[in-house]
Amino acid sequence: MDTMNETIKQAPLLEARNLTKVYEDGVKALDNLDLQVLPGEIYAMLGGNGAGKTTTINIFLDFIQPTSGQAFINGINANEEPLEAKTNIAFVSENVQLYPNFTAIQNVDFFVRLGGRHNYSRSDYETALNRVGLQSQAFDKKLKDFSKGMRQKCGIAIAILKDSPAILLDEPTSGLDPKAGKEFIRLIGELRDEGKGILMSTHDIFRAKEIANHVGILNNGILVAQKTQAELKGVNLETLYVEYMAGYMDEAEPSLVNNLSEA
Amino acid sequence: MFKLIFIKELKEIIQSSRFTISFAVCSVLIIVSFFMGAQNYLASQAQYEATIQENKNQMAANSEWMMVQHTIMLPPQPLMALVNGISNDIGRNIEMSGRGELRPENTRFNDEPIFAIFRFMDLEFIFGVVLSLFAIIFAYDAINGEKVNGTLKLCFSNSVSRASFIGGKLAGSFIGLTVALLIPLLIGCAMLPLLGIHLNSDQWLRLGLILASGLAYFGLFLALAIGISAMTDRPSNSFLIGLVVWIFAVLIMPRASVLISGRMVEVPNVDQITAEKSRYRIQLFDEDRPKMADFSAPEGTEPQAVMQEFSKFMRELGDERNRKMEAFEERINEEYLNKRREQAKIALNLSRISPASVFTLASSQIAGTSLELQNRFMDSAKDYQKIYADFMNEKTGHTGSSGFRMIISTSDDDEEEEKTIDVNELPQFQYETASFTSSAANSILDLGLLMLFNLVFFGGAFAAFLKYDLR
Repeated sequence: MDTMNETIKQAPLLEARNLTKVYEDGVKALDNLDLQVLPGEIYAMLGGNGAGKTTTINIFLDFIQPTSGQAFINGINANEEPLEAKTNIAFVSENVQLYPNFTAIQNVDFFVRLGGRHNYSRSDYETALNRVGLQSQAFDKKLKDFSKGMRQKCGIAIAILKDSPAILLDEPTSGLDPKAGKEFIRLIGELRDEGKGILMSTHDIFRAKEIANHVGILNNGILVAQKTQAELKGVNLETLYVEYMAGYMDEAEPSLVNNLSEA
Repeated sequence: MFKLIFIKELKEIIQSSRFTISFAVCSVLIIVSFFMGAQNYLASQAQYEATIQENKNQMAANSEWMMVQHTIMLPPQPLMALVNGISNDIGRNIEMSGRGELRPENTRFNDEPIFAIFRFMDLEFIFGVVLSLFAIIFAYDAINGEKVNGTLKLCFSNSVSRASFIGGKLAGSFIGLTVALLIPLLIGCAMLPLLGIHLNSDQWLRLGLILASGLAYFGLFLALAIGISAMTDRPSNSFLIGLVVWIFAVLIMPRASVLISGRMVEVPNVDQITAEKSRYRIQLFDEDRPKMADFSAPEGTEPQAVMQEFSKFMRELGDERNRKMEAFEERINEEYLNKRREQAKIALNLSRISPASVFTLASSQIAGTSLELQNRFMDSAKDYQKIYADFMNEKTGHTGSSGFRMIISTSDDDEEEEKTIDVNELPQFQYETASFTSSAANSILDLGLLMLFNLVFFGGAFAAFLKYDLR
């Protein structure tokens, strides 16, 4: 996949250019973040709490304005033309919470229509829900009776049906059991293979290494390391991550990163 | 997008257990209030007819018109039972006299003091207290609840404008809930003819306007709750704020306005006024006492002629006293009424800060049970007093005033049995209710304020959401 991207020059689906966010209380949540997600790529943002992962996602979704820099979705400035930009993106949050009094089908129908897709039938919804592994008996059950894993499946089904080129995932496997987590990662892989550009924030370094084409490590709003899948093959990502998070290494010594012991 | 969110909101409302419970409770309360109102009206009507008949019977037993004690009564109206206003607090009966002050007596709460404590559960109470509280309970987490649940973030990850979202939410909540409330309200209206209450077109119009203003009042509390929800991050906070605002708007402000106006304008109480009148009456009598003592008939006048002369003398003195007393009462009453009007005006204007007061004033004005009811009843009674005085004057040579009377009658065993009077000759008291146009015109300020409150609260909720932190 990487080779393909290198050979065919493609415009990034998600791009952050010198993205900086300083909150009103003076906290610098992002500091000159630069990243790109090309079609058919998964970019995993790793980082501890307060590292700036969710801030990045919130800027892409126009929930907050950057202090400086720009965020683009499919070439459209996410903060200047947010409505236009959002037609090109689907979002799956850490804890997908849909309307509890609606059934799975009703929820999917509402959010897919909200995403601008009005041409689906019930069978399309059922196909998507089947694809994400939701039991057919649950289609017409109210969401209030669903487990977190089932809700996440609905969330990804909505993203699939919205069929947008870019997808934002905010810690999507957090709190899922190993089986559900594995299933979720498989689905994301399928979407990547369909050409979607996926930006995923996560704490899960093993999943990130398994699925991501690029891994970026954020610490205090600074992208302290950025590795391709090929580069990660020679690196113990866990050690790298933990040491960055613990502050043993600073951004002035990036060369050390490459010399860390292998997994 | 607006339509999609509007329909989602409707579906979400209908499918929620909160709606099921509150709809069931509201429906029962609304239907019960119609039923109780109808029963109260029928009971009041029966009592009214019985009292009128009883008075007629009493009068019919008299042989002299001078002996008649005629009582007029405020006729009950169906809308009085549905929106009580002050109808239960004012005296319904007036003992008629050809001249002098008329005193309304026998309030509904005299008969049933228990209701003075707990009051009736009329439509004004249902809308004013119950439904406004339900509006808060229903919408306190309309926005921040979605934020806490995460659905707000998911919605706005799509190409949705804030304006269409809040617009759809406000419209969906308002239409969904008001249509739901219309069902029991219409059932209640349909029950009226079945319960034996036949409203004329004027009364139906009034009832329709009362229900419309009630729904507008409900709507403004709904918008208020949504607005509070769009200004806070946690449902528990918005519920607390909503509850405090509701307590102030519904319970505190109307009462506080009366207290404040009482401080601003001192009005003597009824006892003080009565005492002043009594003092003056005694003073006038004391002034006449020497004249009475000086009365003497020419020597050799027959005793019967002396009595007639004395009676004439006393009548002239009494008439003069009455004239002075009436002039005094008129002046003191006018002063009292002017102060009371000023106080009431201040109280009403102050209370209009609260939407609850505005709704109460509008609905009671339309139902004809506002403060104007008492004035109107008294005006009708005073108009009738003149007719009654003319009639009594024609029949007895006197105006039929109450007070001191001296009647000399002679009996003759051979005379035929005395004839009783024909009460049908007595002109009937007619209480004219204000026309619908007049009531609507008088309530235009309050109806306008209700609309203004709606605009302000809907606009406020809209504006608050435009700045709401969606994260």
